[in-house]
Amino acid sequence: MASRDVVAYKTPLSRIWNIFTVVFIAFYLLWTLLPLMIMFFSSFKDLLAAFQLPPVGAFSKIGLFFDFTPTTKHYYNLFVNLGFSTYFANSIISAGGSAIISVVLGSMCAYALSRYEFRGKPDLFFWIISTRMAPVVAVLVPLYAIFRGADLIGTKAGLILAFTTFNLPFAIWILKGFFDNVPYAIEEASMVDGSTRFQAFRAILPLVAPGIGAFVILCILFAWNDFLFSSIIGSGGAKTLPPATVQLVQPQNIQWGSIMAAGVVTTLPMMFLGLLIRRYLVTGLTMGAVRE
Amino acid sequence: MASVTITNVWKYYGKTVAVKDLNITCNDGEFVSVLGPSGCGKSSTLRMLAGLEHISAGDIHFGDTRVNDLEPKDRDIAMVFENYALYPHKTVYENMANPLRLRGESEDLIKKRIAFAAEMLEIEHLLQRKPMELSGGQKQRTAIGRAIVREPKLFLFDEPIAHLDAKLRARMRGELKLMQRRLGTTMIYVTHDQLEAMSMADRIAVMHNGVLQQFGTPQDIYNHPVNEWVAGFVGEPPMNFIDCDIVDEGGKLHAVHSSFKVALTEGHAKLLNGALRDKSVRMGIRPDQISISVGSGSGVDGRIKLTEPLGGDTLVNVDLKGADQVLVKTNPDFSGAMDQACTLTFDTSRWHFFSKETGVAYF
Repeated sequence: MASRDVVAYKTPLSRIWNIFTVVFIAFYLLWTLLPLMIMFFSSFKDLLAAFQLPPVGAFSKIGLFFDFTPTTKHYYNLFVNLGFSTYFANSIISAGGSAIISVVLGSMCAYALSRYEFRGKPDLFFWIISTRMAPVVAVLVPLYAIFRGADLIGTKAGLILAFTTFNLPFAIWILKGFFDNVPYAIEEASMVDGSTRFQAFRAILPLVAPGIGAFVILCILFAWNDFLFSSIIGSGGAKTLPPATVQLVQPQNIQWGSIMAAGVVTTLPMMFLGLLIRRYLVTGLTMGAVRE
Repeated sequence: MASVTITNVWKYYGKTVAVKDLNITCNDGEFVSVLGPSGCGKSSTLRMLAGLEHISAGDIHFGDTRVNDLEPKDRDIAMVFENYALYPHKTVYENMANPLRLRGESEDLIKKRIAFAAEMLEIEHLLQRKPMELSGGQKQRTAIGRAIVREPKLFLFDEPIAHLDAKLRARMRGELKLMQRRLGTTMIYVTHDQLEAMSMADRIAVMHNGVLQQFGTPQDIYNHPVNEWVAGFVGEPPMNFIDCDIVDEGGKLHAVHSSFKVALTEGHAKLLNGALRDKSVRMGIRPDQISISVGSGSGVDGRIKLTEPLGGDTLVNVDLKGADQVLVKTNPDFSGAMDQACTLTFDTSRWHFFSKETGVAYF
């Protein structure tokens, strides 16, 4: 097999370009990592230490930033006094629940859309994805009325349903692509082997497992980070982390330390999931069983 | 085991007709090959037999059972797909066990059947591997293994060896034929390769444009093609076709072309019964039914255009007078140079005449 490397030759222009690339990446890393770093360190700092900043431009005094005695009092405050353990649990249950529902319904719907031909299929498919085109704010008021009518405001079930409304179309859309890549022959073989259509569907699920795995995590991410639905529909009984964090901003007392700690608590689990998603996405799909 | 009866079956895809009024009867234990170029409707036929496609019109019976409305799982068939269609996440053993598991067979029986199939297919050492770790031939054996552990009524093979390399394909032809004879299961085998059909099948159904052209034994189809299309499709290298006139000279019929005038045999003349006198027909003759010698002599004059030595045989392209060209298959000792004059002799007992309009064979 021939090498798949891209052949590149050095020219003066490419050298300048290389330097530019390095500088760009350096700035980009600073831009993305610095806020996270400040958040992480500040969450362990006393309020006084957190505001001790070196003067602008004085890079020699950068050490001041790291000069503090670590304290976990903000985390203690968060979980013991402010009830963040409940919010954390709410976040996990509602995000996880909606991800599971989205993936179960989504994979069945995606399979049907991938395999069956019927009248109006392109329109149906477009309608499904178009439900994600309108901004959530636009439908929030009617949705609120419906949810209140169904007595779902402030319940975890209501929140799961709300998250599912935006996760499910996305699930169908992405998973259809994965099912399209699975050759018909495998499920046909399964049906000839003696399975029903539903068993045949289950037989090819392992082939779309990378897609489903990646997608479960994406769904959790979206739901976990959602602010609008959780603050309106989850308000009261099913508050999740993002709206709970915002409530730490009070007119007379902005609890910076606790806000930073809440930020860390919200961000870390998703960062770990992000690492997981990578592995799933690069896994091959059909694993070489079918010769195309 | 069962016989298969296909009665007046049609298959439409929207407005496109894939299979037209198909009638095939396949006896219990018979090896029937469905042969034709791509798009001829042979795969649609097989998929209708499997139950993977609806039958647009007509009936299919396995034995006495009408299967039109049965799901694939209820038809008691096993199918081998062109691209093997193994479950990539399962081992060879699990792939073969799958159809038995779905039927709730006991582990003992599964083990016994797989051992039998694996021994027959010589894949015992591969049972714990996954499809990714197998070569094309091994994958194909696994797919066949999955079909035979079931001990079904009917085997459906959809070009199972089309993707293998030439050497392995030649070997698998023999093995598949042997396997079918040993198991004695009725087999319908779809292929576009006339060599596979000829060498393996008891009977061949030749299809073209959705229409069954001829259904008969390999010898029958080779020696008595019913029309020009079958004559041209079956046989390698393909049959030569030359337009000529049938002329009555002194009470004897002759085939007349600008470069030859050859008398018809008594038998053929009788078959034609004078009906074609002074008519233009298309003569067909196979490359190995022409003999060739260098230099001019009493026979059909031609000029060597190209020789292709194949080792065991030599193919010679000969230009006839006029625009016609014939391909001759001769022995490897033939030593004609390009552009040399040569003489051809037709084996007139084995040539064919086809109608110029309809392509139908006169004999």
